[in-house]
Amino acid sequence: MPIELYRIDDRLVHGQVVVGWGQPLNITFVVLVDDIIATSDWEQELYRMGAPPEMTVTFETVESATAKLAEYQSRAAHGILLAGDIDTMRRLVERSGTINHVNIGGIHHRAGRTARLRYVFLTPEEEVSLREMGAGGVTITAQDVPATTPVPLDEVLAGTGE
Amino acid sequence: MTAPRLPVRTRAAMFLRLLAVQGAWNYETLMGNGIAFAVEPALRLLPGGRGGDRYRAAIARQNGYFNANPYLAGLAVGALANAELSGDPTDRIERFHTACCGPLGSVGDRLVWAGWLPACSLLALMAFGLGMRPAGVVLLFLGTYNIGTMALRYWGLHAGYREGLRVASALGAPLLRQGPAQVARASALLAGIAIPLAVRGVIGPAHEALEIVFAAAAVGAVILARFNGRVEGWRLAVVALALFILISVVR
Repeated sequence: MPIELYRIDDRLVHGQVVVGWGQPLNITFVVLVDDIIATSDWEQELYRMGAPPEMTVTFETVESATAKLAEYQSRAAHGILLAGDIDTMRRLVERSGTINHVNIGGIHHRAGRTARLRYVFLTPEEEVSLREMGAGGVTITAQDVPATTPVPLDEVLAGTGE
Repeated sequence: MTAPRLPVRTRAAMFLRLLAVQGAWNYETLMGNGIAFAVEPALRLLPGGRGGDRYRAAIARQNGYFNANPYLAGLAVGALANAELSGDPTDRIERFHTACCGPLGSVGDRLVWAGWLPACSLLALMAFGLGMRPAGVVLLFLGTYNIGTMALRYWGLHAGYREGLRVASALGAPLLRQGPAQVARASALLAGIAIPLAVRGVIGPAHEALEIVFAAAAVGAVILARFNGRVEGWRLAVVALALFILISVVR
């Protein structure tokens, strides 16, 4: 399996990804897709330090990730693709046409967002975007760590944060 | 502009407040309030002092969503205090505030939750196997665990303030890069010593319970293999430690 997980998580490279998912899935590379971080050296250095020495972190824009996705998917090593927001993942899904399952790992509170799960807060626009992605044939579930049960998109959107 | 040297009182206040960094934890800002609380003593040194415009703006910035390993949060607190006192650009501080969450969580989780905590649990288990009384085992565990995490907090605050927004170099320190692997090796060694000793401690001089202990160990091994990666190691270590203490008390 090439890329094991396509994850939306505003914390990007962090413990749940590196330890929680990284160890059971035997992850050796992370593709971090973010148009701003892909051009920011100091942020890249910071995120690289978050990964263990044996795990490589590659930074891509949506455009460059789309171009290289087939190569990442054909690797023998196991990897995770991370996006920090729904819009980034949606653009990647639409352009690539090869992503069938998206994991919501953490979208946290900010003004205008409503709590849906304890680790998922969404604006009305983000909810529409997720629904449209789901209607396009992508299976979307929320699951912060492997030890928890995946929550289907319908249940996420009906949630109240409890 | 470089950040001023922090008075000892201010450093001490920041360090003590780091102990309560999760005190106002909530699902909206996670430990954001705690970060602002810990940075606050340094912000009093801003022009205008406590309650001034820069102070209020900085408090508002630091109070937003923040999530990291609590034992490494000092690195962020020190770096953010340096950035605010140095007059770094606001947008850079805000991006750093967001960007450092993940790496500090990742490094801290590997070092503490997946490394130090199991290692300390195994050390306590070994002490139990060597005949230490239950209260001593608990004290040994709490003592070693907290010495390590207090030292990590102190180092984080110091290194964070020294490096400011260039704190990625501190995250590259050998302790943090190689530490988790070294602690894991030490844990493996401790496990090899502690488990047979603990089993002997549970069985005691009479070997009537030998079959039960080995059956329990076999069941445990099957469960571990079955749930590999889906259960957290620190939880298992704490449960195992609690079980051994319970058994020793009941006996």
